[in-house]
Amino acid sequence: MPVLEGKELRIVGFLCNWCSYGGADTAGVGRFTQPTDLRIIKVPCSGRIDPLFIVKTLMSGADGVLVSGCHPNDCHYAEGNFYARRRLEMLKRFIPMLGIDPERFDYTWVSASEGQRWQEVVTKFTEQIHKLGPARKIEGPDAEATLKLMEESL
Amino acid sequence: MKNLEDLKKQIKDGLSELDVVIGWTDSFDPLHATPHFMRSEADVDKLKVDALCVHNLATYLPSLKGKKVGIVVKGCDSRSVVELLQENLISREDVTIFGFGCSGVVDQVKIRRAVGEAGMVESCEVSGTEVKLTVAGKEHKLPMADVIADKCQTCRYPNAVLSDQFVGEEIKPTASFEDGYKDLEEFEAKSTEEKFTFWLGEMDRCIRCYACRNACPMCVCRDHCVAQSRDPHWLSQEAHVRDKWMFQVIHAYHLTGRCTECGECQRACPVDIPILLFKKKFNKEIKEVFNYEAGLDPEATPPLQTFKIDEPTIKEKEW
Amino acid sequence: MAKFITSDKVYAWLEELGQKHEVLAPRNEGDSIVFKPYDSKKGFNIEREATAPPKKACFPQSETLVEFSHIKDLENPEKVALDVKETIPTSSWVVFGSRPCDARGFTMFDRVYLNGKHVDVYYKARRENTFFITLACEKGETTCFCNWVGSGPSDPTGSDVLMVPVDGGYFLEAVSERGESILDSSLLEDGGSKQADADKFRAEADQSMGEARDLSKAPAKLLEAFDDMDFWEAQSAKCLSCGACTYLCPTCYCFNITDESDGVKGERIRSWDNCMSNTFTLEASGHNPRPTKAHRLKNRVGHKFSYYPDLHDGVISCCGCGRCIKSCPVGVDIREIVLNAIAYEAKEKADG
Repeated sequence: MPVLEGKELRIVGFLCNWCSYGGADTAGVGRFTQPTDLRIIKVPCSGRIDPLFIVKTLMSGADGVLVSGCHPNDCHYAEGNFYARRRLEMLKRFIPMLGIDPERFDYTWVSASEGQRWQEVVTKFTEQIHKLGPARKIEGPDAEATLKLMEESL
Repeated sequence: MKNLEDLKKQIKDGLSELDVVIGWTDSFDPLHATPHFMRSEADVDKLKVDALCVHNLATYLPSLKGKKVGIVVKGCDSRSVVELLQENLISREDVTIFGFGCSGVVDQVKIRRAVGEAGMVESCEVSGTEVKLTVAGKEHKLPMADVIADKCQTCRYPNAVLSDQFVGEEIKPTASFEDGYKDLEEFEAKSTEEKFTFWLGEMDRCIRCYACRNACPMCVCRDHCVAQSRDPHWLSQEAHVRDKWMFQVIHAYHLTGRCTECGECQRACPVDIPILLFKKKFNKEIKEVFNYEAGLDPEATPPLQTFKIDEPTIKEKEW
Repeated sequence: MAKFITSDKVYAWLEELGQKHEVLAPRNEGDSIVFKPYDSKKGFNIEREATAPPKKACFPQSETLVEFSHIKDLENPEKVALDVKETIPTSSWVVFGSRPCDARGFTMFDRVYLNGKHVDVYYKARRENTFFITLACEKGETTCFCNWVGSGPSDPTGSDVLMVPVDGGYFLEAVSERGESILDSSLLEDGGSKQADADKFRAEADQSMGEARDLSKAPAKLLEAFDDMDFWEAQSAKCLSCGACTYLCPTCYCFNITDESDGVKGERIRSWDNCMSNTFTLEASGHNPRPTKAHRLKNRVGHKFSYYPDLHDGVISCCGCGRCIKSCPVGVDIREIVLNAIAYEAKEKADG
């Protein structure tokens, strides 16, 4: 795995219980090779994901966040992912405002049978995060500490 | 305000049917106005309406639910009333709206920049074109264009969008939607690194007083805000720049498609953090994706509270 | 001891002080003036009262009381030991450019945290190692009322050095014993010849304050109005119940204690809390003895102008800096509320 040659980065995945978590499982059962940077948090539905989970994750030092749910029209709860799509799209557009690269967050849809697609998504997303490198961390309670580090790194 | 006497008469006529009417009156110095709760004719006589009446009084409406309330609104304030109606947070039959055409309010920060010692204002006269101040014995004549709030410079809704009584003449807006987002575009042109540094520096001085939240007419959770909840534990009580910053994102995201851009959050901030930028960003994207603006139509549904099966304007990533 | 420093040497003096102490000075941040660790590149601004007082010098917005961690016993996996480390600050600080009201504010803290039944060791460690170099005010702002509460524009109470602007620089007077050690610097000249100028400046500043209102009846009157919720609802109608007044107040000393942990490690922290917040008095049962903003504002005014004076020889727990008025998003004026209370007539009396 070329992406593993460097250090592993911290990527958090929010996956819906019914489709994408199953998809990831299918990929595992099918023994598809995948990068190991991703840590999965299972949620009942992509509609359960408060977009602020993603912001909180990124601000707490994650290098990337991936959200995946059932394909539109296939939501286990009929319409959860329809709401999620609007919310996540708004967040995706907002993220650059924070001085965080929008590429650090993506959302997509993977069904329980799509082990192959899951492998592809997770591989591409992990490559994307590795291209960006580790995210800027907020050090210490005062801004000074982080600002000083940033100045030094320039 | 030219038609102040007409407005006072309208309010006095309505007073017997209302528990309270909210307007503005003189405050602690000649440069400020303050919200004014009118219950008697004598109270109405103290009503003041001019460019110092910056406060969005719609903020008080949800806490007065169940009472018959009259409210004096500028164009921007009226949008907050409409948004509250859209979300069923107040009842139309309980609210009597006294609207007028607003020619803009001042930005106290700009006045402070212009005169320095804004704490020593001895007199202040506001006309349509000028703010005349005496500060520590020295006279300053500030052109209105220099001290008017940014939101007023690019206002598209100077007239109350919904009212039961409208006093005076309507004002013709001249700005376009795009005009209102030039400051945002300027900020967005910065590099990722610059933006990150900017917010770290700005958020650092936040004192976590939550004036931004409490002044916001759409922040209706009030005593149940996640900012102070221990479970779920969204924010640490530690004075950490990350938590201060995170709260502003929480506030902004909870307003997505609901914010009427009255700017009260930023005006209320005692340490002048430019937090309205976050809300403007969401508003611009909401307009682009859903062609929607909050607080214009009492019957409309905010875009994040609904969906389409096919979203032609959302271009998802192809993997 | 009286010294004099020319304006251009102040920077060098701050650098010198910075070698021994952590120096806090007010500087421009955006459109506000806030106290920050002194940075020669960013300078300072003592032109006018800072937006936020230097309260955090002795009472940080949040501070760690103890650090703790859970340690698993390898021999006995069911046993978990708790390691607790007290974190009492050990540094020393200089606050430069505070105003008389800012420094005097800490004397309100002292009665509670140092001179009461219990001593607050965290506060004590900071207070005893913080020096205040206070700048006398030339005249009051429209929101200033230090002279109503027993103080004035050049009151040295609570300060170590009083700094008075005079021609060409500042007259520096040690007003506490430890203040003299701060003035032991080769950058300072003898100030004797400037004494008269300084006295004149101070007298003129006192003159500029206008007439002080008599607040002696406030403690009794506020208690008299205590149960009249109509009165308090009217006083608080426009209040937004935010914490701007409290957190900008040099005399508000209330705090919250929470454990913030991350995995097996954590910190017990003390952070500012304010009585304007609903959660301040919210009890575990869900009951809240101060359920509305009227109850809460009543407490804020009552505490400063009645309950505190009753406990501490009539001293009003307000330094008259006026920040609560100036920075209130809706212009709630604490002076007006106190005066309304003083003029308060109980309903029965008024009706009869």
